[in-house]
Amino acid sequence: MNVADPEFLLDDSPGRVMLLLGNEAIAKGAVEGGVSVVAAYPGTPSSEIADTLSLLASKGGFYMEYSTNEKVAMEVAASASFCGLRSLTCMKHVGLNVASDAFISLVHTGVRGGMVIITVDDPFCWSSQNEQDNRFFAQFSGAPMLEPSDPQEAKDITAYAFELSEELQEPVLVRTTTRVSHARGDVKLGSTKRKPSLKGTFERDPRFGLLPASARVRHKVVLKRIEEARQLSEKSRLNSVFGDGKTGIITSGVSHNYVMEAINALNLEASIFKLGFTHPLPEERLMSFMSSHDPIIIVEELEPYLENHVKALSNRLKKKVRIFGKQDGFFPRTGEFNTRIVIDGISKSLDMKHVTVSPEIEKAYAEVQPLLPPRPPTLCAGCSHRATYYAVKVAAKGLNPLYSNDIGCYSLGVAPPFQMYDTMLCMGSGTGIACGFSAAQDQPVIAFAGDSTFFHASIPALINAVYNRHSFLLVVMDNGATAMTGHQPHPGTGVSGMGKPAPKVKIEEIARGIGVKLVYVIDPFDVKKSIRVFRDTLKKVQERKEVAVVVSRRECALLTIRRKRKEKTPIMPWKVDPEKCTGCMICVEEFACPAIFVANEKVVIDPNICVDCGVCAEICPYGAIEREKDRHEVKTI
Amino acid sequence: MKSRQSKTYNIVLTGVGGTGVLTAARILGSAAVKQGFRVRVGEVHGIAQRGGMIDVQVRIGEDVFAPTFMEGQANLLIGFELAEALRHANKLSREGVAIINDYRITPTMVTLGHGSYPAREKVIAAIKRFTKNMMIINAVNLAKEAGSAVTVGSVLLGAAVSVNGFPLKMETLKKTVEDLLSKRLLRENLKALDLGYNFARS
Repeated sequence: MNVADPEFLLDDSPGRVMLLLGNEAIAKGAVEGGVSVVAAYPGTPSSEIADTLSLLASKGGFYMEYSTNEKVAMEVAASASFCGLRSLTCMKHVGLNVASDAFISLVHTGVRGGMVIITVDDPFCWSSQNEQDNRFFAQFSGAPMLEPSDPQEAKDITAYAFELSEELQEPVLVRTTTRVSHARGDVKLGSTKRKPSLKGTFERDPRFGLLPASARVRHKVVLKRIEEARQLSEKSRLNSVFGDGKTGIITSGVSHNYVMEAINALNLEASIFKLGFTHPLPEERLMSFMSSHDPIIIVEELEPYLENHVKALSNRLKKKVRIFGKQDGFFPRTGEFNTRIVIDGISKSLDMKHVTVSPEIEKAYAEVQPLLPPRPPTLCAGCSHRATYYAVKVAAKGLNPLYSNDIGCYSLGVAPPFQMYDTMLCMGSGTGIACGFSAAQDQPVIAFAGDSTFFHASIPALINAVYNRHSFLLVVMDNGATAMTGHQPHPGTGVSGMGKPAPKVKIEEIARGIGVKLVYVIDPFDVKKSIRVFRDTLKKVQERKEVAVVVSRRECALLTIRRKRKEKTPIMPWKVDPEKCTGCMICVEEFACPAIFVANEKVVIDPNICVDCGVCAEICPYGAIEREKDRHEVKTI
Repeated sequence: MKSRQSKTYNIVLTGVGGTGVLTAARILGSAAVKQGFRVRVGEVHGIAQRGGMIDVQVRIGEDVFAPTFMEGQANLLIGFELAEALRHANKLSREGVAIINDYRITPTMVTLGHGSYPAREKVIAAIKRFTKNMMIINAVNLAKEAGSAVTVGSVLLGAAVSVNGFPLKMETLKKTVEDLLSKRLLRENLKALDLGYNFARS
């Protein structure tokens, strides 16, 4: 969690300027908007929105929960709005896929209290399994959509979105991207005079009960609301035209910033139509912009969302306008933009010659490339997942299993030396895919899920496995947190989003309750016992042709370090005794902890990286790894 | 790329995820706001971070819009690790300054035999192709002298203050460190800023 002590965000100090992360700014906007109920499931690049609100909730007097998944979060926020309260849910782009069942129909019911849905898209898949463009969810559902371009707008637009939602009685989608949510900028704070309330009231209304008869009526209402929203979009200050020039540039979101840098760099005279209210689009204003500018250049990341609309609108114009976008290859349709891509795209569209980066730098950089060592992300030193993967791999030797992996820190098990993945699709898919493998082919199957992922989406698939007699081993890697996104609590952690004690839901009890007969709990740091349990369980799975669950439970190493520092427990790094080390390389080649490396053909442990888990000492067949005697401050991670 | 762009001060911080790169960038950004500048910091979190390479860009100035900048535009590169400094050396402008921690973290991939880590002298020579203004600093030793190895970032920021044209003042950085960092190592971090600055001036 990259959020430290955000309490000042509750202060009513309008005009004060602070450096805020885009996601912190969204949280601040929610506070200024008087949000009363927040429900979310974490996911990079959206996590700090919920994390900030979680830290503020108790003192700010509003309710916050980490829900088990995005669909549940959407429903919690929806019913709060049905009770007349302002509510917010936030998620990464693929989270909206999970929540979409609730979301699409929610636009049919409409809302009462202002309801804001934040979706953070991840162009370039910095931390995601795909790079879908969620602007189409607005078009698909009919919900109004706003798109901030920087942290200041992220705050202002979030606060405004509650008002817009109440005006239209529809949930409002606020769509950002990694480079808005994970950019920091100077943000001028607003007033927090509007206070939250948890005294909502619900009155029965046919629109909240979608049956075929009411849904038919509501569909017509949705279309009417879209037209009302379009009228607001026409008048909105979020859609603005500035600059002079015959060339017209239409842009939205983070791309606007690259456009500004590009026209400065190119000394280009251009008119810019910056769109912040992007569904529905201000069609009349766009048509009038097109009739007074030529050519039109459309600058947007990912899909040609604006381009499709603008081109359709241009058919209604009397004259022909040249429109340059990504459909003719002037801008890319994959990855994220930057100033260089936008300068290149604009100059190509206008047939201008421009050198963005000096050829000497390009040449020198190409020549030094072979020197650069590969450095992909890796499981941390002391990570319990490494110990689990090691034990599973040893136990499964000779079985040649299929591995259906899942989404979380443990996804990093794809890297050498483990490479324990054949499939990885979406949250919970490790278990669902294993069901199909069990039905479709004969190799043994091992599925993985993290603790938070298990609660999020694995449970229905596990029920399916019991019911349909699928045969595989599910390893739940329980490190006591939603670790990858910043150690948020979940139903197994005993802590709530309000920071209060909560009942602990036990994974092994769920598995037994579902009807799984073979359920075991291990500590992966007890390597020998773990290998034995995995070996025995795999054998039983094959003999009995049923599903088994092994919960591999050990706290996330980052949490252990934090706890030890707080408790002032010494962290003693381990070292290799060169007399005893035979150079067998098991610790290097089969365990691969980042603290272990080879220098002058000797295995060495970097005391700055070692966090004292001691697992390498357990796997060393020669007893060559022992604890250092001196206390050492761990620098890394 | 002249005129208005030149008023912007661009900094790239590079290193390995989890070693304090994001924190150092946040200190720079907050200090810049304290001095009344317009600021953008471009970061990446999540899976892109865990022990992998990381670069954060800090931009200070009136005409700043984008959270990132192009190759050849950095006034300053702060490298927490040798090879990672080289990986982003193409961001440096010809007049740009590189402050680099004399420290190597061998990637696990290399330990496993995928690729190799070049010799220290080779890395330094390669960076020199992008700038003549390079300062190699043993920040780990200075950090230990300050009282804790975790203050490496503060040593490097202290050294940055000595750079001609660097827009932030030592007293603003110290105030920001007091505001943002844990009280547990405050004294050590403040000392690390001074040690970094003194080293760079000597």
